[in-house]
Amino acid sequence: MPTSWWTRSRNYFFYVVREFTALPLALWLLWLLVEIKRAGDGPARYSPHGSAAFVVFSVVVLLFALYHSFTFLTLAGTIIHLRVIDRPVPPSLIVLSQFGLWAVASGVIAFVLIWFGR
Amino acid sequence: MPDKKVTIQATRFDPDHDEKPRLQSYEIPFSDESMVVLDALNYIKSHVDGSLSYRWSCRMGICGSCGMMVNGTPKLTCNAFLREYWPRPVVVEPLNNFPLIRDLVIDMDDFMHKLKSIKPWIIRKQEIPLGSGEHRQTNDQIDEFRQFSECINCMLCYAACPVYGLNNEFLGPAATALARRYNLDSRDQGLTQRLPVIADTEGVWECSFVGECSVVCPKGVDPAKAIQQTKLDTTMRFVLPFGNRE
Repeated sequence: MPTSWWTRSRNYFFYVVREFTALPLALWLLWLLVEIKRAGDGPARYSPHGSAAFVVFSVVVLLFALYHSFTFLTLAGTIIHLRVIDRPVPPSLIVLSQFGLWAVASGVIAFVLIWFGR
Repeated sequence: MPDKKVTIQATRFDPDHDEKPRLQSYEIPFSDESMVVLDALNYIKSHVDGSLSYRWSCRMGICGSCGMMVNGTPKLTCNAFLREYWPRPVVVEPLNNFPLIRDLVIDMDDFMHKLKSIKPWIIRKQEIPLGSGEHRQTNDQIDEFRQFSECINCMLCYAACPVYGLNNEFLGPAATALARRYNLDSRDQGLTQRLPVIADTEGVWECSFVGECSVVCPKGVDPAKAIQQTKLDTTMRFVLPFGNRE
């Protein structure tokens, strides 16, 4: 396989982009662990890292995370094979339920963070 | 239009004389709009160069023998119409990701070995005597596996799969789709015999869901779906209480 195999087709390219999005996301999460450790020293000595570069990086990571989540949840209709009362559940309904659960989970996490952060 | 011509660039490779494959160009008459790439190869072999080697058999998309790379995409050459490429040259190469034997002929031993390893036949714990009648199935039971039974072992999915290209220990799309076909068959009881192969690290877990196998399949089989569903099933067997029950 030549190293340029992923440039051969559009599908290969977007597959590599999808896989690559996990890398900056992992770096951002590592930084989050550092921030949590720093916050452990107490509120008086803690100031969040807020440089313009970090904000831009965070926005890019957010977009990557949304893209990765979107592709993953869209594929749920292909992967999950459910039968209810002896009839197969349509893939579109499975995808919709996954996005619904995602929205609910995001709302709950946002509520908890905001509530305890006040 | 009797003067219409099409240029075919076919891979030539003689292991006794050539160090590496090369492309040879042939200009042949494009006399009929219904001509497919396989017709062009047959014309070359009959009228221009009888030494050109390639596999083919049925000419109707059933046998799966004539799979080749056509302008970089895995295709059954009996189903690739020249009119879709003309007036551009048509580049015909052997399927990607397989060792080359000669010209357009690839070595399919690895695939045959993998196919055999998933035991693509109905396994019964105890054979029922023929005299006791047939194994009856409902339409719903047939619909469970019908799609995966359409596979013709043409290996286009292996040529499209970069995971197999990077690691040929990977069981691959067609073998997994066929394993799923038998595992979903209500007459089959061979799941536990297939699990060591399909649930292995070189089995379904090697797949990172590129999805190109399903795009190139000429029979509409969805091997990527078979692989991802098998991942979920094997996980559920591991996680759920009594998940390993027969």
